[in-house]
Amino acid sequence: MKQKKLNIFLILSNIIIAIILIPVIDIIRELMSKPSENWEHIKEYLLLDYISDTILVTVPSMVLALIIGVSLAWFVSVYDFPFRNLLKWGLVLPLAIPPYIGAYTYSGIVSYTGFIQTFFRNNLNIQVNPKFFDIFSINGSVFIFTIFLYPYIYMIVRSYISNNSASIIENARVLGEKGTGIFFRIFLPISRGAIVAGISLVMLEILSDYGVVSYFGVQTFSSAIFSSWFNFSDTNSAVRLSGILLLVVFLIITSEKLLRGNKKFCQTNSKIRQIKRKKLGAKSSFFIYFFGLSIFFLGFILPVGQLIYWAFLSYKDVLNIDFLKLIFNSIFIATVSTIFIIIASLIIGNFTRLSKNMTSKLYSKITLMGYSIPGAIISITVVLFFVDLDKILNFITRYIGIQNINFTFSLSIYMLIFGYFIRFLGVGYQAVESGYEKNGHKFYEASKILGKNDVKTFFLVDIPMLKPAIIASFALVFVDIIKELPLALILRPFNFNTLATKVFNYANDEMIIEASIPSLFIIFVTIIAIVFLNNIGRENKKDVYENK
Amino acid sequence: MYMKINNLSFKYENSNFDNLNNINMEIKKGEIIGVLGESGCGKSTLLRVIAGLEIPYIGNIIINDKIVMNQKVFIEPEKRGIGMIFQDYALFPHMTIDKNITFGLRKFSKKDKKNILDNMIELVGLKDHLGKYPYQLSGGQQQRVAVARALAPNPSILLLDEPFSNLDSHLKNQIRMDMKEILNKLETTCIFVTHDKEDVLSLSNRVITISDGLIKDNYLVEKMVDIL
Repeated sequence: MKQKKLNIFLILSNIIIAIILIPVIDIIRELMSKPSENWEHIKEYLLLDYISDTILVTVPSMVLALIIGVSLAWFVSVYDFPFRNLLKWGLVLPLAIPPYIGAYTYSGIVSYTGFIQTFFRNNLNIQVNPKFFDIFSINGSVFIFTIFLYPYIYMIVRSYISNNSASIIENARVLGEKGTGIFFRIFLPISRGAIVAGISLVMLEILSDYGVVSYFGVQTFSSAIFSSWFNFSDTNSAVRLSGILLLVVFLIITSEKLLRGNKKFCQTNSKIRQIKRKKLGAKSSFFIYFFGLSIFFLGFILPVGQLIYWAFLSYKDVLNIDFLKLIFNSIFIATVSTIFIIIASLIIGNFTRLSKNMTSKLYSKITLMGYSIPGAIISITVVLFFVDLDKILNFITRYIGIQNINFTFSLSIYMLIFGYFIRFLGVGYQAVESGYEKNGHKFYEASKILGKNDVKTFFLVDIPMLKPAIIASFALVFVDIIKELPLALILRPFNFNTLATKVFNYANDEMIIEASIPSLFIIFVTIIAIVFLNNIGRENKKDVYENK
Repeated sequence: MYMKINNLSFKYENSNFDNLNNINMEIKKGEIIGVLGESGCGKSTLLRVIAGLEIPYIGNIIINDKIVMNQKVFIEPEKRGIGMIFQDYALFPHMTIDKNITFGLRKFSKKDKKNILDNMIELVGLKDHLGKYPYQLSGGQQQRVAVARALAPNPSILLLDEPFSNLDSHLKNQIRMDMKEILNKLETTCIFVTHDKEDVLSLSNRVITISDGLIKDNYLVEKMVDIL
């Protein structure tokens, strides 16, 4: 008789998925309970403002990021002009600046004593209307989100055009279509998936943001959740607001899938080939270069230049033992959380690729879910869970007669690590999963035939072969955690600061200049990761060509 | 001669050698030329140069007494009036097959478009598949759509890049016969590249062999039968 084997990867995957889902029970319980008095007030007087501010910030930012990201990706991919390579990479760099750092920096740049207004006053003798530079507004938030988040769309669309559409675009040219026609009739429809993926990331980043909107005094859902939580200590209302926000995110993501229906805008059988770029005349080259360079200047050169200038002014006050401690805290928490995330990604990834069934598909979706949930919601979920966990554990210890142990996980660093785990597991998992897909099943099967069981195969074959994917996954998650702000603000233990929370504290204490050095450190780490990931991408591309 | 290529040489940007080296060839109207060679010998590059997708550093191309490329003139691919079928067909995945076929007919009236579409659909035998998307068709059907789309604007010359390489072997023979019938019916001048001698034998009138970017042989297909 065939004996059913115990699958260790299934058991571990079940445990990880349970860890992700159990905190949701607290949220459901809060939603089912009676609303607080405060909730009636929010519903009657504030909810409409939250909704309108959220829409007024999110929609224009998405549209502008879309126009900038898609047009630049198109120009850089299909046209040849002087310094194209410089622009191609330069346009990615604004991604290294988290929007909250961008917001603090620009508030200084455009202030009355800042670089721009001083330049107009002292050099051009022009007294500008300060209202024109009022960045503490919805328009200011739109500017910040657009200029620092468009690279998500730019990168995804550029990579899509470069790898997928060479023969399609060339065929359209042979059939008599010109540049603009190809852009609207061919490129936009076939890149729809890539464009939607980019816009979704921009949307999720904006809905998750707390640093920019709280600093600029804009009442979006995220800031409202934090305000209910911090200012009114009203958990129930915070959970209710989270529930609405989560529903909106879910509806937007599903509606695009429904609108697309069962049309597959993927290609039938095209092979990877680089587009032959068309040489541009002097006039067009100048226009594209001017446009691209302006975006690069606003998104990277100007804010980083300003931060470097401030760093020179403040380094004597900031660079001390406390700063080293901040770096250590950030690196420590990011490393530990990333290691947990990678271990979980490897386990679930191995389970889902080996068992192609409904459970594995569901597990894969649950694992990816965290990244689409705004940080404020995850924070509340995690806090409620840890408070309950402490209560249960303390109850059990008292019940069995142990009096001198008092569990206080809800005041510890574990809570922050757990929050990062849920929020960024999807990021790590995606990179590991693509590594599993790239390797396929043949190496696993060869190892099994040679007598190794699943666990030995995992350690001897899969993990060594997944090394590039694991490194990429590590870099992606690590950087995301170093930059992350809302989770760290709520979940960190008392008196525990990271670089991100210190930047937030400095900015909110009107010490923007002092915030420059920790900001530059975050930007520096992110740039290293971008360059590193780009090199891995290039290696992978080389592999694809060699395999062809 | 319907088409003439004289002293044409081409080099890719990062290449250390000429990918096409002093190519000279002539084609009569209605002739079907098979270009035979190993992978990487330059045969697909030759098609891309004729289509205007790559720019040679020397040489000239004349089609139907019109210079399409020399040291002074370069007609862009969108204005050359050449049809090309890519190895992977490159069907537009977001368009139905009728929209794919009429894509190159922008300058035609609605009525003419409709007539040409009907003729093409009839020619390639896909009447029952109108309104479908490329992913809903088999490999052979996709290739027929690619043929119809390339022929619809009545190109001066049709270029085919490894047209049968994506097909299962049991389908190949039938599709080669169909293609020959279509090309003969329309008397289309055609150049196709392949690494498969069977393709050349069953489809072309004349064979050109290329190796390392150089034309090695140029003979009638009957002679090839003798050689084999």
